[in-house]
Amino acid sequence: MASFFATYDFLLVSMVLAAVLALTLYLPLMAGQLSVASPGFYALGGYIAAIMSTKIFPPGPGLYPVSLVLLEMAVAAVVSGALGLAVGVPALRLRGIFLALATIAFVQILGVVALNLQITGGAVGIFGIPQPFANPIEYMWLAVPLLLVSMLFVARLERTRTGRALVALREDELAAAAMGVNPTYHKVLAFTTSAVLAGAVGAVSAHFINTWNSRQGTFDTSVNLMAFVLVGGSRTFVGPVVGGLVLTALPEALRGLAGVDVLPGWLASFLRDGRLIIFGVLIAIGTVFFPHGLITPGLLRRLGRGRARAR
Amino acid sequence: MNRTFLLQQVLNGLAIGSVYAIFALGYTLIFSVLRIINFTHGAIFTIGAYATYALTGSQFGINGLLAGATLPFALPFVLALLGGSVVAALSGVIVERLAFRPLRARGADPLLTLVSSLGVAVALVNITQYLFGAEPYSYPDPLQGLPTAMNFGTAAAPVLVRTVQVVIFGVSMVMLVLLTYLMNATRTGKALRAVAEDMTTSSLLGIDTDRLVLLTFVISGFLGGVTGTLIGLSVGVAGPYFGIAFGLKGLAVIVLGGLGDIPGAVVGGLIIGLAEAFVPAQYIAYREAVPFALLFVVLLVRPQGLLGRAQVQKV
Amino acid sequence: MSLRVSVSVSMIAVAVLCCAMIGLAADPPIPIGVSVAQTGPVALAGQEQVLGAQIAEDYFNKHGGVNGRPIKLVFQDGGSDEPTAINAFQNLINVAKVVGIMGPSLSQQAFAADPFAVRAKVPVIGPSNTAKGIAQIGEFVSRVSAPVAIVAPNAVKAAMEINRDLKKVAVLYAQNDAFNKSETETFQQAVKDLKLDLATVQTFQTTDTDFTAQITNVLNVKPDLVIISGLQVDGANLIKQLRDLGYKGLIVGGNGVNTAAIFPICKAKCDGILIAQAYSPAYKSKINDEFKSVYKDKQKKDPPQFSAQAFAGIQVFVEALRALDKKSPIAKMDLAALRVELNKQLISGTYDTPLGEISFTTGPGMGGEIVQKQSYVAQIKMDPDGAKGTFVFVK
Repeated sequence: MASFFATYDFLLVSMVLAAVLALTLYLPLMAGQLSVASPGFYALGGYIAAIMSTKIFPPGPGLYPVSLVLLEMAVAAVVSGALGLAVGVPALRLRGIFLALATIAFVQILGVVALNLQITGGAVGIFGIPQPFANPIEYMWLAVPLLLVSMLFVARLERTRTGRALVALREDELAAAAMGVNPTYHKVLAFTTSAVLAGAVGAVSAHFINTWNSRQGTFDTSVNLMAFVLVGGSRTFVGPVVGGLVLTALPEALRGLAGVDVLPGWLASFLRDGRLIIFGVLIAIGTVFFPHGLITPGLLRRLGRGRARAR
Repeated sequence: MNRTFLLQQVLNGLAIGSVYAIFALGYTLIFSVLRIINFTHGAIFTIGAYATYALTGSQFGINGLLAGATLPFALPFVLALLGGSVVAALSGVIVERLAFRPLRARGADPLLTLVSSLGVAVALVNITQYLFGAEPYSYPDPLQGLPTAMNFGTAAAPVLVRTVQVVIFGVSMVMLVLLTYLMNATRTGKALRAVAEDMTTSSLLGIDTDRLVLLTFVISGFLGGVTGTLIGLSVGVAGPYFGIAFGLKGLAVIVLGGLGDIPGAVVGGLIIGLAEAFVPAQYIAYREAVPFALLFVVLLVRPQGLLGRAQVQKV
Repeated sequence: MSLRVSVSVSMIAVAVLCCAMIGLAADPPIPIGVSVAQTGPVALAGQEQVLGAQIAEDYFNKHGGVNGRPIKLVFQDGGSDEPTAINAFQNLINVAKVVGIMGPSLSQQAFAADPFAVRAKVPVIGPSNTAKGIAQIGEFVSRVSAPVAIVAPNAVKAAMEINRDLKKVAVLYAQNDAFNKSETETFQQAVKDLKLDLATVQTFQTTDTDFTAQITNVLNVKPDLVIISGLQVDGANLIKQLRDLGYKGLIVGGNGVNTAAIFPICKAKCDGILIAQAYSPAYKSKINDEFKSVYKDKQKKDPPQFSAQAFAGIQVFVEALRALDKKSPIAKMDLAALRVELNKQLISGTYDTPLGEISFTTGPGMGGEIVQKQSYVAQIKMDPDGAKGTFVFVK
């Protein structure tokens, strides 16, 4: 058991953080907006934590205090929220594919800026980020509450007036506007909340992977997030969480599978080196056979009913 | 700024821009007929470049599953180019049948198709790497006898453009003319435009939409193959990922010109090329941000692009 | 007991004894981990590293392994991003239970993954991590990739000897790559120290293929020397396009273009380039000649720097294991102690590798920073048809 955690501690925490990031894509999607801007706020949050913990707070002996990490998360959340508001208000007048493209452009621009500023360390980035925990698995103390809080928030949101307004916008924006739902206000709300969450995740991640550079939070991250939500389930908050957990584990599960001795050599080597091929094919198949993702509200209802009947 | 420098910048911009334009043509054609963004274009482009390489009888390196593979014959460059583009077109058709057709059949959201195309692109590029390894390859040079650069200035104040880029510019113009002729002056073109307008009505009117969609992918794939090979000629086939970088910039190009607008793709490409060329020397580090900054601004100010028509929201 | 039972029991006993004896007679091979970029955009470099490591495995096993016991390389793809490298390291440390790891490919991945090895007290040798601060990550991190601090000025000086009137210098570098960003800082400092005029600094991305804009800016200042810090494909394209567009002056290339892989791209135009090298195929030594001949058999060209550094990394592990085994038999050590002792041993040794003679310096809180005795400046000589080329030593 100890060996399992020693090998997979990093993966387990990555899975939880990925699930939270998936929710940041889900939030605007509730209003029918495909925004892939979260990687940009994720990167920003990471840089804030990295800069604060290496340049502003002096390095002391022993572990870095968790309270400072929480402070960094708060600062990252606020700054990301502010940037999200600034970018969101003009950008969210766009619809559908145009918004998606605008957010792609936003992430690319942030990446170039990050490469060029002195304070972000350019291509090398910032390294030697201090650790608040002795063991990677202890990051769960930060990651799991973050996931639970976000899941709770989104679940409750789906039941409030605001949540229903978002769904109305997703179903038919013109009709919703005609009925008095303010589209821009609600879209910006979803976008900004998503930015705040992404910034907080970024702050934790910077400590988690010891270093931060412009290669974190890029278009590739957007592709992964899209896979989590669109394959996991785009109509209920459980979908992105499951998608994030499972699809993050998948490449590493394939790596582990390749190591099992009973497999013939060519299959083992394909599983090991062809992980990205399998990932891409899964995304394509997922969209064809499960257009609303694997976890749909219908499925959840059926599972709920099944359990009720079993009682 | 003196005239020679200005002329050099303009020609640089047109040269860079025509590469983007020729890539964007295939990209925007699919959008114009099907209203989807086809990210696999970058992967098809790569497949075309590799296929041409194989058809010139050249050998693949020692990495990858097909290490050291060579075809038993060798074609001259132009034939290999055509052959490679046919292979690219076929790949496009296979992708269409397997990935896009099922989504279209159930009327899926274009965003879903976008994500699916991303997945297919990732898979295709990695399959290419798995088979052929990641080394760069170079074509046997068909332009060997010609001077490497053409001088558009004078001997005293030379304004040089690489010959291969002049060729690419020429090809992009020819492609533009051919495509515009196809779309506007032929029956097939009219049918394609009908399908673009409304697929259900077109099929009710007796147009074989399936066949036309297939044709669109064939043309787009062929264009992608030609683009991949020409760019491979200019800068070498730089590994299976070399098409992906174009995929993102290509988005900026087609939006700027107008999504789905064919002359727009060329105009957008040239404008972005010129914008990149005119970045002042001390800010060259931010050059990569220029296409995306332009994309962002265009989306905010005029989302239909320069040549597109404003989208009327139908209730 | 009946006859049948006693015969069965004795047969089983004999079988068990035989297996035990076989188990005793052959110690399992020593596992050494290799985690480089086998997939993703960095795979081009990773491929070369895999090849260098495999050649080393064959070579050292043929030459007796570790005092009679063979080594076995365990490959786990580190991918081109930081989380994959971390997962690969975790797998090698906890599942494959290796005695040491060679990798990862990128400095950024090293900053992410090496701390995990330091926590687990597993020695890591970086084959291609050249950024500042790698060995300072922790006591268990060492590298065989020399930061280019020594070689860079030599290359510029060599250029000055060829062109005595050399005054103006243009520098280009790949801004999105840590390797090249570190290298260009050294080059630019060298230019200033040698009292030359740094006329312009242009940047590009390793994924770029078209450099017309940068080249126009460079030609505008009419430099006598152009210094390029890039990787193989972008560097080679930059050289080709510089020459296509009429630049006739000297070119110095950094470590990233120190590979015959640039020849297919720039062909005859690669001729005359001065390269600051951490490895030279022309270096004459027994081990380099043997390494070169094995490599040439497989790939029909001279070995690139990445392969040579990977070979050297494995060599350091093997020779340190041999030395350690002589002091105190490693078969008797438990894994944790073995890893710690191996780390101490490898940092204290001297090695005659294809890179030349190398050793390590260390300090409090850091592992082994490489000290490389030889540094090379070579000039590329291409055949007139541009198909083949060699690296020829300058002075």
